[in-house]
Amino acid sequence: MATGSSQIEDFGQVSRTVGTIFRYLILAATLFGIVVLAALLVYVANDALQPATADPGWYLTFFLTLVAPTALVGWAVHRRGPAAFTFGSFLVGLLVVSLMFSGGVGLLVVDVVPPLVGFSFAIAIAVPTAISVFLTRYSHRIGFTSRLSATAFVFYLSLFGLPGPIGSPIGVPQVVPSLARAIQSIPVIPVDWMMVGTVLGGIGGAVVGSYVAGVRDARTGLVAGGLAFAATLVSAVVGPFVGLNPVPSTVLTAVTVLPTATYAWRGAFTEERRPAGLGFAAVVVGGALVGAAATSTLGFAGPQSWVDWQFLTSAHSGSAENAGLYPAIGGSILLMATVAALSFPIGVGAAVYLEEYAPDNRLTRFVDVNISNLAGVPSVVYGLLGLGVFVTYLGQAAGTVIVGGATLALLILPIVIISSREAIRSVPSNMRQASYGMGATRWQTVKNVILPEAFPGILTGTILALGRAIGETAPLIMIAAPNVVFSLPTALESKVSAMPLQVYAWSSLFASEDFYTKAVPAGVVVLLAVLLAMNSIAIVLRNRFERTG
Amino acid sequence: MSTDELEADLTRQTENSPRELLTRTFFFLCAGLSIVTTISIVVLLVTEAAKFFTITAPLMGVTGPTASIVDFLTGTTWQINSQEFGVLALVTSTLMITIGSAVIAIPLGVATAIYLSEYASTQARSVLKPALEILAGVPTVVYGFFALIYITPALGTVIPQIGTFNMLSASIVVGIMIIPMVASISEDAMSAVPDELRQAGYGMGATKFDVATGVVVPASLSGIFSSFILALSRAIGETMAVTIAAGSRAQFLNPLNPASYLEGALPMTAAMVQLLTGDITGGGLAYRSLFAIGLVLFVITLVMNIISDFVAQRYREEY
Repeated sequence: MATGSSQIEDFGQVSRTVGTIFRYLILAATLFGIVVLAALLVYVANDALQPATADPGWYLTFFLTLVAPTALVGWAVHRRGPAAFTFGSFLVGLLVVSLMFSGGVGLLVVDVVPPLVGFSFAIAIAVPTAISVFLTRYSHRIGFTSRLSATAFVFYLSLFGLPGPIGSPIGVPQVVPSLARAIQSIPVIPVDWMMVGTVLGGIGGAVVGSYVAGVRDARTGLVAGGLAFAATLVSAVVGPFVGLNPVPSTVLTAVTVLPTATYAWRGAFTEERRPAGLGFAAVVVGGALVGAAATSTLGFAGPQSWVDWQFLTSAHSGSAENAGLYPAIGGSILLMATVAALSFPIGVGAAVYLEEYAPDNRLTRFVDVNISNLAGVPSVVYGLLGLGVFVTYLGQAAGTVIVGGATLALLILPIVIISSREAIRSVPSNMRQASYGMGATRWQTVKNVILPEAFPGILTGTILALGRAIGETAPLIMIAAPNVVFSLPTALESKVSAMPLQVYAWSSLFASEDFYTKAVPAGVVVLLAVLLAMNSIAIVLRNRFERTG
Repeated sequence: MSTDELEADLTRQTENSPRELLTRTFFFLCAGLSIVTTISIVVLLVTEAAKFFTITAPLMGVTGPTASIVDFLTGTTWQINSQEFGVLALVTSTLMITIGSAVIAIPLGVATAIYLSEYASTQARSVLKPALEILAGVPTVVYGFFALIYITPALGTVIPQIGTFNMLSASIVVGIMIIPMVASISEDAMSAVPDELRQAGYGMGATKFDVATGVVVPASLSGIFSSFILALSRAIGETMAVTIAAGSRAQFLNPLNPASYLEGALPMTAAMVQLLTGDITGGGLAYRSLFAIGLVLFVITLVMNIISDFVAQRYREEY
């Protein structure tokens, strides 16, 4: 070595200064971005929520009823068992997230889907599903092909009638009305809350029932499902006594109360037995309620936040004080539903093909490289694709829910495929071989072994990808989604705005000090809160998945 | 692979039953959609851009105003109203955003990667990694608003001559949002360096600093470079932050002159958004110029992704 002599002189003289400085420099570099973002978030939250405008008594009351008891009880519970504390915090988190969800579902039920339409379509899907389940389960003698065509026929008859859309181009009149249409034409219809309650209670009851059946046994599951269904319907009757309309109270019960209650039951009274966590959650929720009641009784004013009920439930307005995000929130929800419905099956299907079916040939490798390149294509180019293909060539109207949803679905498809492939790859291959060894076919293995095992991972990846889609603005601008929409989209063909698009419109087209300090920060906070809720679901799922997998 | 053969052997008997064929076809079509997407992007961009240029427009059967391809690629003025389509004005602005964000993201990203892979305890990693993911998860429109409302005024207290719309604040937020990309890919490369190399370094009497900078970084250099290229390709394609923060007036600036970062300009992606928020009637020259810019953008990002892939594959150290 050229510098050999100097190294010999230095031997044994190692300075710690360089290493220490380097260590703290790179720590500072790591924290830099996080700290800058945190500062920006504090600024925007301050602008949006205006914490300084609240009465000191308001803070004092909430400190006494919420913060202090939470800290005390939390410390006590955590000391006795960290698991109970985690359970309690998850329960509170679940309550908050499911409250946000019930807001979204409530918006759909009240303003987007008329109860009769939702009810009739739910029945029209439930009946053929029941028939096909019956066919699969009880008649092994019918061959696969005839069973499939029977199922397809029943679904078609139920949703479209005979001859349905096939008949219309050749001019055959409708002979048999579809089940959905038939229900809609019944002259005597139930009250709105009955229909909403039946649908939501039915879904909620089925989910709760199957979950409880998985934890305990089938009979308990059946009882729990029935109870959940009954609770949803009863809540509509009880709701008006506590100041809630029947329809919102069924939504609240089905989307918030049922999952929270089920999780609380599971954590507190099954084999895990952590009732202390339940106590912690009760202190938090009770503290918040008592605090709210106390401040309104004592007359302490809360902060003059721009994120308020008015902001969440009104449309855009020329003045920042009256501007609201409601149509954009509804647009984002509908877009996300479309994106999820399109990208989830296709993304998982592609991942299954590439991991389980694809031969190792040139085509497969090309698809592989192609998907990773697609993940790197700028979102604005996907917007051009939507504009050029869906709008110009396929003649769809610009800026509709279906065009926006399809464009965003194409955008996140590579991410869904890549994360689903990872989830599928992490299924141990001896499980596959055991399944094949039992004589299962490829599809049976995929259906019974691989998809159930990989499902949490796939779901996590999909939710994270949806989180990316909900923040995307550029593709929506490219497909000419309108900047300002005054009403909720009610069909797949209606014009749609979205939360980030509305924020962009306020910060560029309505640029004024007023919008910069009121409406835009409020919009940013709502958007970030929704993203936070989605990502926390994904992270909780991932952690649970990692523990078991 | 033997397991694949085993599976093929076991499933051969049932492979052609209708159910298997049907599901197999469905899954294949799903995977095929990605190829259809790529082909549609390429065909769409190429045909629409071809309608834009004077040379190729007759081939596409387009009559009406067109633009010269030479002027497009060498012109430095972008003025839709006076029909001047010089894409260099947009490309240099994009280049400025790229350089500016690289100055922020590359050192910070690599330092983050070294810290996470060599220094951080497991506990610190479990906190820092999700926190860094948040940087990439915040919607870009939010970053644009931050740049315009908070960062530009903050910079204005230090540099008074800074414009309301400027490239500096746009570069800063784009830089912050691509830090996680540099950090996570570089960290993966550093974690892949086998522990024997580190232990050999310590055995020779090297300090932790020597091992980190003298052993781990050189051994993972290909991964680090590929992370740079991928992150910069993301910066080039970044749209909303630059649209909101960088302004809407196209001008040809010198990317190497620091003073020009204080002015506003119009990067390619922002120009595309501007073309659509303005009055654009389907099929006009402005509409087609959108696809011409889109093609330039697509080609640049595609080439960068391919180079990044190539660097990662070609120069990867095999252990």
